[in-house]
Amino acid sequence: MTNADPMTGIERRAGREAVLRRSPFWALGRVINSERPWPWIAPVVILLLGIGLYPFIYNIRNSFREFNPMTGNVEPVGLENWRRLLQDDRLHGAFLTSAKYVLAALVIEFVLGLAIAVLLNSGPAISGLWQSLMILPMVVPPTVAAVMFRVLENPDYGALQWLLEGVGLIDKQEPLLGGTGRYAMAAVLIPEIWQWTPFFVLILLAGLKALPQDPLEAAQVDGAGAWRQFWDITLPMLRPMIAVAVLFRLVDLLKVFDYIFVLTSGGPGTRTEVLSFYAYQRSFVTIEWGYGSVLGIVILVLAIVLANVYVRVFKVAW
Amino acid sequence: MARQTKSWRQLHQGTIVKTLLAAVVSLIFFAPILWWMLASIKPTPEILRSPPRLLGFDPTLNWFRVVLGNADPTRFNIETTGSVGRGSGGSTFYSIPYLRDSMIIAVGSTLLVLLLATPAAYALSRFTIRRSKDLTLWILSQRMLPPVVVAFPLFMMFRDFGLIDTYRGMILVHAAINAPLAILLLRSFFDEVPRELDEAAMIDGATRFGAFRGVLLHYLRGGLAATAVLSFIFSWNEFLLSLVLTTGIVRTVPVASSTFTTAFATEWGYMAALGTASMIPIFIFILLVQRHLVRGLTLGALK
Repeated sequence: MTNADPMTGIERRAGREAVLRRSPFWALGRVINSERPWPWIAPVVILLLGIGLYPFIYNIRNSFREFNPMTGNVEPVGLENWRRLLQDDRLHGAFLTSAKYVLAALVIEFVLGLAIAVLLNSGPAISGLWQSLMILPMVVPPTVAAVMFRVLENPDYGALQWLLEGVGLIDKQEPLLGGTGRYAMAAVLIPEIWQWTPFFVLILLAGLKALPQDPLEAAQVDGAGAWRQFWDITLPMLRPMIAVAVLFRLVDLLKVFDYIFVLTSGGPGTRTEVLSFYAYQRSFVTIEWGYGSVLGIVILVLAIVLANVYVRVFKVAW
Repeated sequence: MARQTKSWRQLHQGTIVKTLLAAVVSLIFFAPILWWMLASIKPTPEILRSPPRLLGFDPTLNWFRVVLGNADPTRFNIETTGSVGRGSGGSTFYSIPYLRDSMIIAVGSTLLVLLLATPAAYALSRFTIRRSKDLTLWILSQRMLPPVVVAFPLFMMFRDFGLIDTYRGMILVHAAINAPLAILLLRSFFDEVPRELDEAAMIDGATRFGAFRGVLLHYLRGGLAATAVLSFIFSWNEFLLSLVLTTGIVRTVPVASSTFTTAFATEWGYMAALGTASMIPIFIFILLVQRHLVRGLTLGALK
């Protein structure tokens, strides 16, 4: 190795160090090369603290104050906002709506996603093409997806409405969007499921492809049927992938906002008002800043507790 | 794959059934996109036709002429809507400014996040850091932060610093949103490069920074590309914070498409044209990094 290492270009080292020593960045170079991790990590941590931690502290401070529309000032109200939290029926409703939304979306997306992943893994021709087509819904901007489904679900000319009427699932009097809002929840779940079932397909398909084949072959030799093989061997081996996929979807589902904002605005009434939409309403529509901050803290704590319990129970590791 | 090289004649009957089923399922998922792209070249009566037609309509480029070419929408109203009425605030349909704003913010935040996250990912992968597990979990927990929680404080903070309706404000926010993704994903790529490579280079006299640069240039191109594409897409699609932190002087595509909905039904064509124009570049990007998609979407937890 008399030539320069192609990876680091060492033969120029002496010259470069001389340049470093003269340049104003000399001190910076010393710090970076000192084997201490903090100079490498600090810039991004500062960014995360500024955008993540500052708002959290602000929310806590703000939770003890409230905007007074009469005076136009933010005034201290002590524990009033927190007391209000305990008696807020609308929050109770939003919590139940969120729970319904998250559970329905998770179950449907997981079951559908698993079924499609198994199908794509079972050896159809040109499976790469089908997989690529499946990925696309995931990267459509959620607001654009919601707008698309606003037309598709339109009571008068929506193609989806027409299709569901055709198979007799719903009728003109009780359309997906509008009417008494009986199907409003389904109406916001449809774009959600359309966009995020592919997420499960993608992860579970990658998992299926990486599974060792020996146990399956052994089971086949032992004469186990396809269902037995799937339940007793494939599914348990897929567990780590399933755990990660559900975790990521769960975390994102708690944040859901776009579909509801575009499709129903939480309505009719508060039928599709999930937690994050309710917090948005309090902060930005009815201008109850303090109470909006309280709701924000509640959502954050809920998300962190849920995710932590989940990570522990299912032993997800990074 | 061996399966794909079989000729059609050799295909088992079961394979044909599976292929048909796979085709039907994936086309169901693709159908709304296809329909929306078609709507962007259909005249209004055709968009509002139930059931929609795949073929046999007179295509029109008028929506794109307005949305991308700044043509006067009133000129086209008779052709496309069958009425002479003017849409609400015609000029707002011209979407090049929204696409430009989205592009500047997405590219800017992607560059910023790569600049800040790459060294951090390298440090997490290479240095022994006290409580590095806690640090990783803290970074991960930033990803769980619901935007609605930070929206209001950020709005107040931005107002105080004069960052409302600025590119630099939005770039900072989107970079922070994407930082956890970038750090954890890049760390998983760094972890795949043996530590011994750095150590050998440093024994040969390279500085730590030189070793970092070497690994980066020689082994991490694919990983950087995948991280960049995912950051770009998440920034491009982000809605709530863009809605709250801008008032219209700067306006991103997702915010613009949601404002189109509040007006009359005759504006679907403009929305379809904007939606199509904003989706196609993303599709091309994502198909290019398909290989790394699983790892990206799970922040490196699954490879």
